[in-house]
Amino acid sequence: MPNFTDLTGLAGVASATAASMLLLPGIGKLSRPRRALLLGAVFVLMLMPFGAMPPAAYVRGMTGDLSITTLVLLCCAMLRPWCDDVALRDKRRLALLGLIALTSIAFYPMALGVGTYDPYQLGYGNLPFVVALLLIVLAAWLRGYALITLCIALGTLAWAVGWYESDNLWDYLIDPFAAIYALAAIMISAVRMLLKLRGRPH
Amino acid sequence: MMIPSARQKMTRYLLLLLVAIAFGAALYKVAHHPGAALFQMPANSAGEAQSGSARPEFHTDFASTQQNISTHAASLVELGDGRIRAFWFAGSHEGAPDVVIRTAVFDPVKNTWSPERSIVNRVDTERALLRYVKKIGNPVAQRAPDGKLWLYYVTVSLGGWGGSSITAVTSTDDGTTWSSPRRLITSPFINISTLIKGTPFLYSDGTMGLPEYHEFIGKFGELLRIDNSGRIIAKQRLSDGKSTLQPVVLITSPQRALVLMRRSGNSPSRVISTATDDAGQHWSKTMPTALDNPDAAISGVVLPDGRMLVVLNNIEDGRAALSLVVSADGGVSWKTVYQLEEQRGQPTDPVHFGQISAELAKATDAGITDASAYGKSAQRNKCVAQHCDFEFSYPYLIQARNGDFDLVYTWNRSFIKHVRFNRAWLDQRMEKSKNAELH
Repeated sequence: MPNFTDLTGLAGVASATAASMLLLPGIGKLSRPRRALLLGAVFVLMLMPFGAMPPAAYVRGMTGDLSITTLVLLCCAMLRPWCDDVALRDKRRLALLGLIALTSIAFYPMALGVGTYDPYQLGYGNLPFVVALLLIVLAAWLRGYALITLCIALGTLAWAVGWYESDNLWDYLIDPFAAIYALAAIMISAVRMLLKLRGRPH
Repeated sequence: MMIPSARQKMTRYLLLLLVAIAFGAALYKVAHHPGAALFQMPANSAGEAQSGSARPEFHTDFASTQQNISTHAASLVELGDGRIRAFWFAGSHEGAPDVVIRTAVFDPVKNTWSPERSIVNRVDTERALLRYVKKIGNPVAQRAPDGKLWLYYVTVSLGGWGGSSITAVTSTDDGTTWSSPRRLITSPFINISTLIKGTPFLYSDGTMGLPEYHEFIGKFGELLRIDNSGRIIAKQRLSDGKSTLQPVVLITSPQRALVLMRRSGNSPSRVISTATDDAGQHWSKTMPTALDNPDAAISGVVLPDGRMLVVLNNIEDGRAALSLVVSADGGVSWKTVYQLEEQRGQPTDPVHFGQISAELAKATDAGITDASAYGKSAQRNKCVAQHCDFEFSYPYLIQARNGDFDLVYTWNRSFIKHVRFNRAWLDQRMEKSKNAELH
């Protein structure tokens, strides 16, 4: 019988694989019910054991468990056809991506050995770190940055209840995939903004 | 100005409720997090540690028996009844999919090893972890204060050894049966690059200290603190840069410890050290010691009188010599008390290499009936074309509760050699080497 944390980890990977189907050409032409059926089918197939393990287990071996932030971003992508997408497209989404990009630029090099300080150690139940996160999330809530509030709050809750195998809060807040996506999205936005500015009449 | 709708207001306050629940739960978890703890002195350090015999005793044999197989990275743990359990990995070659973790038990009363057996393999590990696993490696064991045996081993899903993660299994019957494996998450970058080699230790609150190291991009030593349920509760960095691996923690008091690390990369061929005097809250800047190191593993223990006993390849190049060295000044200077292996300068052609290896095997264990088979195994693993290299590496030294010492190490990548000696023998060797040159 798989552990609870294996099930949550595999479900995360299966969700990500299903969401990645939205990138396939022609998917946008499908009706909403058909799109939902496709995503659901991919999700289930990823969890079906073929041979020794389900396909999601092979992906999980390479990727590890996906952060709650990544899952929230993927949910946004999957639910876009069904939801009011204003909140997902406006500058608030960009603010979340900017926060992820900035954090990852500072966090990953140090966590992988640049310098003697390892910020990853803060994730093992460090009170000042949790309080700092609380202040960030309250500021985000007050300013109306719902996605930032949602990602940090859900990630922190998932860590507190032991949703994944990891005992480290960072693993719930950020992962390399969210970091790469955020960095790419920020760079693309910056280029677009520059092009827009250059195209503006003097 | 847009007036928020009732639905938007409701969403906003639901979000605030989520924040309150999440951080309430998180702060509760933080409040119940174990605080800092002192080092626990090893059981042999209470002063009562007496050797099993006052007569000098020195015994050698092989813990592993499988021939024509690649065997490496042994570790030891003392069981509840005083027997010694060894673990190592073996397979067609290092990193092969058929590599398994094997174990055998040494009975110090009879001076014999039990038959070896496999306890962990790659396929069972990946099925239990629900993750693809490409290969397994280095096992290290610890006996917790509650008597539970923890076996940590390295698993790789992606890339080479630099892509390693740690997996743990436990046993409540001193290694007869084992639990299902579980993964430790120790790195934020898809959990890669955490490896183990050094001997685990205990903190005063019963939590376990596991020395580990990172070797993806950088190469540096770290420490994990793990509670009795296998949860990681703290992680510390011992060094940085690209030059240190495989930390060994030598605890000299509840507050003080010296860490010795294998040097790697382009740094000087010296063992690297760092120290703490606040039970690991802070570590000093790393510095080279007087001990040579050819980029090879080391192992050591602290004697009840505070002297440090270390086994290493105390040479700048190769692994053809293995030494037992001692320091009486906290690791500043060292003396060789016994040369465990010395095959530098021997012929390296396969024929002579095989003959010498067979003689060494016979000298290790006089009960071996077919020593040539040991020579052939050594040729299989250590000869490329017409050149062979002697290798005596990856030592793992422990001191049992009764004061006796057990050492295992890789013998030509073919077998695990075991050396057992008592305090009387060590005292005799120290007396003989009193005038030996200091390192």
